[in-house]
Amino acid sequence: MKRLMTALAATTCLTAPALADDERIVVGFATAETGFMQAYDKPAQDAAMIRIAEINAAGGLLGKQIEVVNADTKTDRAEGAKAGLTVIDAGADMVVVSCDYDFGSPAALAAESAGLPSFFLCAESIKAGIQGVGPNSFSASVLAAVQGATMAEWAHNKKGARTFYRLLDTWTEYNKGICDGFDWMLPQLADAKLVGEDTFLNEDASIAAQITRIKALPEEPDAIMLCTMMPGAVSAIKQIRAAGINSMILNGSGVDGSYWLSAVPDLSNFFVPVQGSIYGDDPNPDVTAFNARYKEATGGDPSTQYVYPGYVMIDVWAKAVERAGTTETAAVVAELEKMNAEPTLFGPRTFTSEIHHQNRARYLIVETKAGKPGVVDEWTISEAIPVAELMK
Amino acid sequence: MMSPSVARRTIATPVLLGLLLIAFALVAVAVGSKPFNQTVIDIFLKVIFVVGLWVFVGNSGVISFGHIAFACLGGYVAAWTTIKPMMKGMSMPGLPDWLMQTEIPYWGSAMVAAGWAALWALIFGSVLMRLSGIAASIATFAMLAMVNSIYSNWESVTAATSSVVGIPIIRSIWPYLVAALISVFVAWAYGISRHGLALRAARDEPTAAAASGIDIPRARLIAFVISGAIMGMGGALYSHSIGIVTPDTFYLGLTFITLSMLVVGGMGSLSGAVLGVLILSTLIQTLRWLEAGVQLGEITLALPGGVQEIALGAVMILILMFRPAGIMGNKDLSLPQRAALETRGPTGPRT
Repeated sequence: MKRLMTALAATTCLTAPALADDERIVVGFATAETGFMQAYDKPAQDAAMIRIAEINAAGGLLGKQIEVVNADTKTDRAEGAKAGLTVIDAGADMVVVSCDYDFGSPAALAAESAGLPSFFLCAESIKAGIQGVGPNSFSASVLAAVQGATMAEWAHNKKGARTFYRLLDTWTEYNKGICDGFDWMLPQLADAKLVGEDTFLNEDASIAAQITRIKALPEEPDAIMLCTMMPGAVSAIKQIRAAGINSMILNGSGVDGSYWLSAVPDLSNFFVPVQGSIYGDDPNPDVTAFNARYKEATGGDPSTQYVYPGYVMIDVWAKAVERAGTTETAAVVAELEKMNAEPTLFGPRTFTSEIHHQNRARYLIVETKAGKPGVVDEWTISEAIPVAELMK
Repeated sequence: MMSPSVARRTIATPVLLGLLLIAFALVAVAVGSKPFNQTVIDIFLKVIFVVGLWVFVGNSGVISFGHIAFACLGGYVAAWTTIKPMMKGMSMPGLPDWLMQTEIPYWGSAMVAAGWAALWALIFGSVLMRLSGIAASIATFAMLAMVNSIYSNWESVTAATSSVVGIPIIRSIWPYLVAALISVFVAWAYGISRHGLALRAARDEPTAAAASGIDIPRARLIAFVISGAIMGMGGALYSHSIGIVTPDTFYLGLTFITLSMLVVGGMGSLSGAVLGVLILSTLIQTLRWLEAGVQLGEITLALPGGVQEIALGAVMILILMFRPAGIMGNKDLSLPQRAALETRGPTGPRT
């Protein structure tokens, strides 16, 4: 029984919850500080902190300094719900949740039921928002489908690609999303033809069977739409090139970054859509300046474009708060929904009462040539992907 | 079924455990913080799972790696029966029409989940319960892998690996307390019933038990079905506690944490199951607070992230070093004057 008493005593040693206070503006981060999601959440959160520091240095928001509270989700859903409730109890006016829909939604649902706005750091599923959480939930990134659609239209218009091959890694919703966007765009492109399609799994050690089917085509396709992500992407790309297939490879943003390029030496004819360039050649010099600030704050360059949505998130939210003159949820959400092609460092952003995500966005096209990635173009799809299409 | 004297002699155990759980709930109410409330809900859910596990593992002596599969079955019953029909049509279009139109309250879904999990426990159990020892353990693990695999791939009915959202979230602590109390009392009642006694006899002396006319597979099957029902109820409530359900929530992570809680608490007794959860959860929570940082005057003391997992492992090793049979061993909590009687071991009813 003595042990029990100790146990009970330990549970009562709680600090009283901080009371919500209208005099403060608090952003609550219910994100992963440990576990595998940390690798996704931390960089975007660092970028968000840079924007918060900028706003505070410029006099704050509505004349108040933005404060930050954190709670670790431990890359666990049940802990995620607790983390959400923790930052809400600490007085958060806006709740930032994990990058991924699956891991971010418990905290976002907690914010939604407390009547607070929530932002996914970089989720790219339509569910991260109104459709999967509720009317006060947003995502700071761009839908995966837009990436597939962007690559298809750009390759068709700018590279003259006519024959396409679709190779889908069925591991995640993100991968499927890229190919869904590609599927939506392809029939709208004049003379474009799908000459074949196949699927594989991220963990497959060999995709020899799929490659044999590509090789069996009468002619090599102009472009291969590769809907996959790390870590399986590297092996797939390596095998495609090793088999002597030299078609353009079109990708989603998930393979951005130069950290893996040494595994496929002299990779060429390889294209990735990005929201901003980490390679120091962004057409907007402010992005390069941001990269330098990021390095100063964290000690390293951004490793992929998934750093940027964190910055955009605080940027658009702060603008909405400024315009609403309050942090009150309904007013802030209404202001966010009024944003139509709102300029940000990483392209214009639009939110409507129907969709709290980007179903159309400007993408920079990064080409990897002889193992060196660099921005070669930019593209915005001619038409936004209809919400009904995204919900399929 | 059971002689009143046994019930009277042992009722102190579930009552004391129940009071302990109620004390945890009252602490949560007194503290009044939302995250702490959620933590205590989480503890109650673990109590349900571990008690469910104990009903089978504790009484039969067969370690089961598969019980979380029943929680998974229950978790999806909550999704099938409580999500608004419109949202269900979007994420799980393959559900039969009558189920698509069904929308019942959370307690209804917990009951249906218990029934559904019990049904599958009966089906699986009729085969698995013929095995013993390590073969039975591995077979239960195979069952877990099978259920996980089906639920991760049956896109039209379970939305595959995507999260199913829209399950009504219940943040009040009382339903979870009531469910935990129900599982403790059901487990106790089963333990002192003739079936529970027969199973424990078969655990300790299989040959003698069989010679005395105990049908061992049948005795195990009864425990398996009851524990399956408790796990199913827990699974449904778990879904209601966070509002989403995915198959990987109910897989290896939850399997091993619940088994460790049972082993550390003491597989041999119901009190061991409940105390294992309460003690380990309290420890985990304390370490998490330390990780988050504790304000001591001017300075904030904080452990590096990830220490919690390491410290938990170390503490578990220490407990098992000094108490190999778990914290409670084979003893149950009881009132002091009864203790002397209890140590002689259960005499059990004569039938």
